[in-house]
Amino acid sequence: MAEKSSPSASANRSEAPKDSSMTQSEENNLTVKEVLSVIALLKKQVTVDRSVSVKKRLEENRQKVGGITSHLYKLSNERRSSWISDSDSALDLLTKRQKDALGMQNGIDVSNGDKDSHSYQEASTAVLMGSSIPVKNAVRPIKLTEVKKLPPYTTWIFLDRNQRMTEDQSVVGRRRIYYDQNGGEALICSDSEEEVIEEEEEKRDFVESEDFILRMTIKEVGLSDPVLESLAQCFSRSPPEVKARYETLMKEEKDAGASKNADIEAQNWNSFLEKDLEAGLDSFDNLFCRRCLVFDCRLHGCSQDLIFPADKQTPWSHPDEENAPCGPHCYRLVLKSERNGTVSSPINTEEKSNSSSDGVGAQTSFRKKPSGPSARRKVKSCQSESASSNAKNLSESSDSEIGPRPEDSSSIPQLSPSKNKIAGKSGIRKRNSKRVAERVLVCMRKRQKKMAASDSDSVVSGGVMPADIKLRSNARKENEETMSSSQKNVKSPNTGRSRRKEWPLQEGLQGEVPEVPSSETINDLPRTSGNDGLRKEEFVDENICKQEASDHKSWKAIEKGLFEKGVEIFGRNSCLIARNLLNGLKTCWEVFQYMTCSDNKLACHAADGVISLLEGYSKFDLNGNMGNNEVRRRSRFLRRRGRVRRLKYTWKSAAYHSIRKRITERKDQPCRQYNPCSCQTACGKQCSCLLNGTCCEKYCGCPKSCKNRFRGCHCAKSQCRSRQCPCFAADRECDPDVCRNCWVSCGDGTGSLGVPPQRGDNYECRNMKLLLKQQQRVLLGRSDVSGWGAFLKNSVGKHEYLGEYTGELISHREADKRGKIYDRENSSFLFNLNDQFVLDAYRKGDKLKFANHSPDPNCYAKVIMVAGDHRVGIFAKERINAGEELFYDYRYEPDRAPAWARKPEASGSKKEDGAPSGRAKKLA
Amino acid sequence: MAKTPIGLEPVVGSLTPSKKREYRVTNRLQEGKRPLYAVVFNFIDSRYFNVFATVGGNRVTVYQCLDGGVIAVLQSYVDEDKDESFYTISWACNIDGTPFVVAGGINGIIRVIDASNEKIHKSFVGHGDSINEIRTQPLKPSLIVSASKDESVRLWNVHTGICILIFAGAGGHRNEVLSVDFHPSDIHRIASCGMDNTVKIWSMKEFWTYVEKSFTWTDLPSKFPTKYVQFPIFLASVHSNYVDCSRWLGDFILSKSVDNEIVLWEPKMKEQSPGEGTADILQKYPVPECDIWFIKFSCDFHYNAAAIGNREGKIYVWELQSSPPVLIARLSHAQSKSPIRQTATSFDGSTILSCCEDGTIWRWDAVPTD
Repeated sequence: MAEKSSPSASANRSEAPKDSSMTQSEENNLTVKEVLSVIALLKKQVTVDRSVSVKKRLEENRQKVGGITSHLYKLSNERRSSWISDSDSALDLLTKRQKDALGMQNGIDVSNGDKDSHSYQEASTAVLMGSSIPVKNAVRPIKLTEVKKLPPYTTWIFLDRNQRMTEDQSVVGRRRIYYDQNGGEALICSDSEEEVIEEEEEKRDFVESEDFILRMTIKEVGLSDPVLESLAQCFSRSPPEVKARYETLMKEEKDAGASKNADIEAQNWNSFLEKDLEAGLDSFDNLFCRRCLVFDCRLHGCSQDLIFPADKQTPWSHPDEENAPCGPHCYRLVLKSERNGTVSSPINTEEKSNSSSDGVGAQTSFRKKPSGPSARRKVKSCQSESASSNAKNLSESSDSEIGPRPEDSSSIPQLSPSKNKIAGKSGIRKRNSKRVAERVLVCMRKRQKKMAASDSDSVVSGGVMPADIKLRSNARKENEETMSSSQKNVKSPNTGRSRRKEWPLQEGLQGEVPEVPSSETINDLPRTSGNDGLRKEEFVDENICKQEASDHKSWKAIEKGLFEKGVEIFGRNSCLIARNLLNGLKTCWEVFQYMTCSDNKLACHAADGVISLLEGYSKFDLNGNMGNNEVRRRSRFLRRRGRVRRLKYTWKSAAYHSIRKRITERKDQPCRQYNPCSCQTACGKQCSCLLNGTCCEKYCGCPKSCKNRFRGCHCAKSQCRSRQCPCFAADRECDPDVCRNCWVSCGDGTGSLGVPPQRGDNYECRNMKLLLKQQQRVLLGRSDVSGWGAFLKNSVGKHEYLGEYTGELISHREADKRGKIYDRENSSFLFNLNDQFVLDAYRKGDKLKFANHSPDPNCYAKVIMVAGDHRVGIFAKERINAGEELFYDYRYEPDRAPAWARKPEASGSKKEDGAPSGRAKKLA
Repeated sequence: MAKTPIGLEPVVGSLTPSKKREYRVTNRLQEGKRPLYAVVFNFIDSRYFNVFATVGGNRVTVYQCLDGGVIAVLQSYVDEDKDESFYTISWACNIDGTPFVVAGGINGIIRVIDASNEKIHKSFVGHGDSINEIRTQPLKPSLIVSASKDESVRLWNVHTGICILIFAGAGGHRNEVLSVDFHPSDIHRIASCGMDNTVKIWSMKEFWTYVEKSFTWTDLPSKFPTKYVQFPIFLASVHSNYVDCSRWLGDFILSKSVDNEIVLWEPKMKEQSPGEGTADILQKYPVPECDIWFIKFSCDFHYNAAAIGNREGKIYVWELQSSPPVLIARLSHAQSKSPIRQTATSFDGSTILSCCEDGTIWRWDAVPTD
């Protein structure tokens, strides 16, 4: 049994004891003592197994190590030989000394005692220190010239924007052992008086051996409470836990076979296209920060509540809407080519003329009303007006196309000469198609009559379908034969179109009695039409049945989802949707078809055929947006990302400013952290922003009219540099999204982003420096005072923004804990940011963290609200010359401040400008 | 630490010496008054297998072991800064094979000494605090790693003087790094451990182009695009106190804390989630009275044996790769009472050197069995 058990050899383990325990398995009523003995036996066996497995693994590893070391040995030998061949060994002093020493030792053996004189003559040669010789170090030491060491620092990561602390960085609840440099002793920092740390019982997974004992014991002695209890004791777990584990084990055993198949299936199913957009968007919502417009935002994290603005944006429309087709597959091109095809058709002259002459114009009108379902509706309901209506007619209301349709097969050849040939060859087919055309015409006429009565466009469009398809496919066949790409263009739309119309057909057929015969007659037609019957049938089958299926198949869930989003974003603009969202997946034409198809679908879904597309569209829109309006919470699955032990605390010292934390000029209450509210109407009393005492910002869900919103400034000439600017006065940076005249220029003063340059007469907002990262170059160097210091590269004027003090955002509680550690090292980089957060630049920050403290500084720090976030800006208090070291007042609370940061006069008084008494130092 | 589950208990070695090999003190020398923190044999170049180096105070000394217990002083280097206190030393070499001695200590400056020309080759300034250990990549001995109090591990090229990578940041150590070691065969892999009680395994695979670039860099070393490796590929909490020495044993790791034992464990990484994983503790090698930090063990070239000193000046020599572990010998001498900071085991394990807090070097030689 023991021969080949390894950690993964559970099979081995489960096999082995069977023979020994089989006899016992029948007697189930055993005493606790017996149960224990069984467990003990199993335990013993597990232990033996374990040692055997360790032995085996070590043996395997030994062989590996052997191979590695012999390779290394070879390398070390190569170095020796390469060295000898490469250079003159006399130059190598180490080898020389080695030889000298060897020679000397041999010499000593001969003449003992001669060594001392030897080494004194040639001072830097080897000295022997054997047991027989007195120890004397006479080798002349070689001096290593002094290199000035750096001021101490802890390796830190440069941050250009603040980051929120990740949970595993927390020092709270962790034991930290200090090494006291002076005492040479390690001290454990415990805060047992302050806090009781209750670690959530860490769920230990059952290991294989435990499973084994569990299984075997129960197998032998049965499942009963005493058994479970003794097992639990053995594993030091609770009996229910053990029981639960046993149940899962049993289940696993059963599922073992089945799961294998499931795995294979799952593998086939993992194409991203199979996922629906919801799932995709869910992870998008989790990973994308809507405030910073980046994925995996380190500042706001992945746990943001999703907030969707109540103000819906109007569908995006391109400023200079062109009529140029978006690509070779643009629906415009397709429509055009179709129209061209209809030119020769004698029937439906109105249509033809409309489409051919008005082609462009009609399109324009369509483009102009991208989201005008009413227009479409009109078209649908009264197709006779087609002359005056949009070109949409052609695609949307199939009945208007009935006319040209019959001629399609004959008209297409006109497009290309190659097709002509084929058409000529297959005379029968042509004739046939003509007959079909006649049939269709009859049908059409009938239908038009019907139409007048019912005015049910969806029904009509459905009814037309089969004929449509048939003829189209006829044309397609020909196209396929010719294999010309331009024709393919024509072809694929055709098939696509027929697909589109599948829907109404299916649904419409059942509902509308009058429709049935017409479609049936057409279905019948191919069957009766001699030669081509077979082929026709094929077409019909293919087109009606298969294509219907393919309609749903070819539009994968994610594509549908993307399309819906596209409509939300771009309106009913298939060009933009295809280009931006379905690039490489669907062509513009396909999108267009799908779009019209889904319209029809919606129309059909409505109980009566008169239901307007307008309603359908609005319903669709509703569907598209409804889900978004609710504040969606993250899925639980994603929430668990980055799982870290959770700790519970009782926290006694709740005061939030305790340990040395730098604060800013504002001595009044700290700023409040802004969290966007999810109000969907104007904020009332329940608004989280109002309750929290912050303004609503552009990230809130509430509409722009919300009374609690900060409205920005309207400054024109002041450049927002004084307290006259409401933004400046409120310690906020201007926001181009909110302020009226604050816009972003490209920096050279000439261009601007999206705003005409004349606006504001050369006005440039001066209150967006943090947002735009317009900081000064700061240099890091050896401080004139202590440790590291920050220096300015170029001269700046008073109140100039120098840079941001960045760091990790940590809670006050965490900061207090860290502060204790930092105070011990007499070096703290904590900076109070607001009521929720403290900035810690200890491990992550920027160079300004090294700016030293001074009671008479040349800079000041200010917490500023920038686009909803508090950030610390460092500003010049006076004019600062290039190369000067930067200082600011850390503003430690008087009683907390270390000696070097205390005000020289009466500590405790909060006097602003202390007498210039030299710059105090800060150990950085 | 959570209780070890049944079935995963380590195999603990017995402290009864097997008397497989007997060692005798053959030499003892007093290098100076200041504590000696490191001693190391040259395993890089087979010409120098009997050459070793020690550091203590501001001094670096190169010795040779000769027959009959004789130790010859070959070279001695003294830092002009008297406050320098070297903590660690390692052998390295230039790409042409020139032997280098690399030392670091309290000043945080890495001294690369060209031993064949007896002069300083380069000094690496960059660490923000003292250097606790330097190790050399055995496959490419121009690469060294340094572990520092500044919470970082750095990879350097001694040939060009470039700091190639810095292993620190978001997933880095949270306190002083005390020890670091190159994987013997996987050139991309290092393990580091320190005062945050963790052992971290790092991979530089993604950054290997920078390592290659460092060999051909001709511009100023300071212009080299040094990269930060912020996340380790594995993190183990095998110990609950300072971890002051870790060495690879094939794919396993030997590490020690202040718990009177060396632990052999296997890092078991999870494929899907890098950074997570479990440590399977395989064996334990008890070392009595070894409860102060900064005591490092050493292995012979083939990793057959490990020698570790203790607080009382005794040395335990363990057979590493047998299961259960066998204590080869326990070395003690009436006059050796000072804490042994580090040992050095010769190529074949026949000579063991120890350097002590009181500034002495002891040489132990295996007594020939026949």
